[in-house]
Amino acid sequence: MWEFWVRSLNASTIFTVAALGEIIGQRAGILNVGVEGVMLFGATISFMVAKTTGSYLLGFLAGIAVGALIGLLHAFFSITLGGDQVVNGMGIWILGFGLTAYIGYPFTGPLGLPRIPTIAGLSPFFIFSVLLAVLMWFFLFKTNMGLKLRSVGENPSVAEVSGINVARTRYLSVIFSGMLMGLAGSIYALDYNPVWNYNFLMGWGFIALALVFFAMWNPLILLGGSILFGVLWQVSLNPEALLPNVFSRYIWRTFPFVITIAVLVMMSTRWFSSRWGAAKPEALGLPYEKD
Amino acid sequence: MTSFYPVKCPHRRQGSVIEWLIPMTAEIKHGDIVLEARGITKRYPGLVANDNIDFEIRAGEIHAILGENGAGKTTLMSILFGLVRADEGEIHVFGKKVNFRSPLDAIDLGIGMVHQSRKLISAHSVLENILLGHPQAGSILNFKKAAEEVGHLCDRYGYKLDLNARVWHLSEGEKQMVEILKALYRGAKILIMDEPTSALAPPETKKLLKTIQIMTRDELAIVPFITHKLPIVLSISQRVTVLRRGKVVARLNTADVTEQRLAVEMVGREVIFELERDVVEKGKPILQVENLSAHDEKGIHSVKDISFSVHEGEIFGIAGVSGNGQQTLAEVLAGLRKAAGGRVLLDGLDVTQTSSLDRWKKGIGYIPSEQRAVGSIGDFSLVENMLMSYYYDDAFSKWGFIDFQKTRRFTEELIAEYGVATPNADVNARNLSGGNLQKLILARVLSRKPRLIIANLPTQGLDVGAMEFVQNKLLEARKSGAGILLISEDLDEVMALSDRVAPMYEGEFMGILPGETADRETVGAWMAGLKQKAVEQ
Repeated sequence: MWEFWVRSLNASTIFTVAALGEIIGQRAGILNVGVEGVMLFGATISFMVAKTTGSYLLGFLAGIAVGALIGLLHAFFSITLGGDQVVNGMGIWILGFGLTAYIGYPFTGPLGLPRIPTIAGLSPFFIFSVLLAVLMWFFLFKTNMGLKLRSVGENPSVAEVSGINVARTRYLSVIFSGMLMGLAGSIYALDYNPVWNYNFLMGWGFIALALVFFAMWNPLILLGGSILFGVLWQVSLNPEALLPNVFSRYIWRTFPFVITIAVLVMMSTRWFSSRWGAAKPEALGLPYEKD
Repeated sequence: MTSFYPVKCPHRRQGSVIEWLIPMTAEIKHGDIVLEARGITKRYPGLVANDNIDFEIRAGEIHAILGENGAGKTTLMSILFGLVRADEGEIHVFGKKVNFRSPLDAIDLGIGMVHQSRKLISAHSVLENILLGHPQAGSILNFKKAAEEVGHLCDRYGYKLDLNARVWHLSEGEKQMVEILKALYRGAKILIMDEPTSALAPPETKKLLKTIQIMTRDELAIVPFITHKLPIVLSISQRVTVLRRGKVVARLNTADVTEQRLAVEMVGREVIFELERDVVEKGKPILQVENLSAHDEKGIHSVKDISFSVHEGEIFGIAGVSGNGQQTLAEVLAGLRKAAGGRVLLDGLDVTQTSSLDRWKKGIGYIPSEQRAVGSIGDFSLVENMLMSYYYDDAFSKWGFIDFQKTRRFTEELIAEYGVATPNADVNARNLSGGNLQKLILARVLSRKPRLIIANLPTQGLDVGAMEFVQNKLLEARKSGAGILLISEDLDEVMALSDRVAPMYEGEFMGILPGETADRETVGAWMAGLKQKAVEQ
């Protein structure tokens, strides 16, 4: 039983880190639906580097760097060129899906390094993710930079007349957002499941994306949401551990995704937007042009 | 940028903002020239927006800049705030020549701007909005200290405000106060106010005037830019500079002038303030609304149990500050939004559940408040825009094919009749000015000879000429027996045009008054909610 909960919390770590990345981007008004793609890149590159060099540190750094690079690309497209962020995000996902399958193929198989030490099975990254969420909350709501970042996502033209450089703020947050997503991929590939396989993320990036909406852009609510989905995921893999003989395991496997879809549908209803709509950054997904 | 002692912050993050704000006022003596413009000229292709403009603003005075739309006010304001660069001329602030590269430079030198379209983030708290972009805010925000200091400012100017409230909860007047506080907290000594009273209900206007009068005692200079509200100019400002066609045409002490004189200077000719309203026999009711309720797009119950009727040959005016449910009411009557309860009768027939198209065919004409977003399609030609009220008319389309030649001829006739200034009927609607676009929309709606016209803010944002035109067209329609539902935020307009007036506040009519006997003060007070719901109808 302990192992079940530990696995759940370890899974939640990846959701938390990836979704925190998405939150910081969305709070600045830039939507990246290609979380899955960035994570695939981070996971595959970090796995390749770690396996070649034998160094976990280099692996994580490579994963973060590739995330930053894709973040920069997304920022250039959505901020400088003012393109459609959903289309570009889908592009990132498809590119990540295809390219990582191609370059990662020769590395198929286990990592072959000693596992990262755990605390009674609990990954140290879980503690890291909790701290990161609390820090992120403090940053967003208690610091000057956080206020600027939120303002840029709410109403960039107001931010501009208050003397804030909208483009720079958005660039920084989208790059940082990419770094966290890359890191989330690396944690998955080097710690949670260190065996490279074709499309081994299995849609976790999309769950992280849904969690951002679920958490109403709040890092602390996100923490709860991530743990819930971590547990759901473990139940779906191994339903006998918690609720034996309720459904077929194939039905359990659909649960995280069915709930994701249900949450997204609920959030797009008029009922939701009339009650909780204020939480959503007003300028989310809209390119900003100076007038 | 030239640095200048009194407004330069001593050092980032050091000391309290208030500490350097208050001693500063001692540096400036009453009557000192704080801002001076010399020979400001700005040319745009085919137009001189500002032509050699000179004026000076003194500490402790309220100095209005008056002018019609298109007189160059906006350009001048943008130049003073560093949004636009002048082609020629100099600006001196506190005696030093300045060269603004961006609004930040202007803010740093002590110029604050209170925008007409509020520049606030509605999801943030008042305090967050005030702190946003403040140079001394520090990296970790000290909300407690800021609340204390802003609280002092509020006390000083006799204003009460919940600093932790979200901005979208505030009234228009409170939002404006937040903008003023934000500017003052950043050390503004000169406040430029764009149409300060345009969105305010009369009691809020009074409160604002009182507040800025207290501010002048601290030797703040206040520069309101005003288009229409001449009585406001007279009641608050000591001096006024009048602009017409980009030039300064008059510099006056308000103590010596009358409203008529100001109007003459502003428009360049005599203006008739009284519209000619013929006596029209009131006919049978066209529109009857019974206990109507509706929700707006945010789900707020914004029309509450309203009943009234509009008769033939009558203008029924709804007066109210924006956001009191008028928009929802207009949309429900036009069939664009579902009613939550109650009935709408057109010529005695229940149309509550019918579509907009059905209502157009039955004789409702709708002039929407958003000319560009709802009233027209910017990337469509004038001919295509005209078709929006005629595509379903057999005279213009057969078997699903539109007779474009006929529509074009028809559009050209209407353009001539309504005096829409345009090179031809094929230009896109977005290229028309606000006044011309409104004329086109009016032509489209009125040419169908509707029995009932719903005119939602028909003169908002128009200059005096276009405004007169629209008002006269409405009066003409009234004369020919149409019923008109006029929704307006301009108290003078409602009072001048309406046969009956209903002040609307928070989704309810505060009463229905006959137009001739209603007095301005009563209607003004009622639309601000200063009355229990009236019994008389």
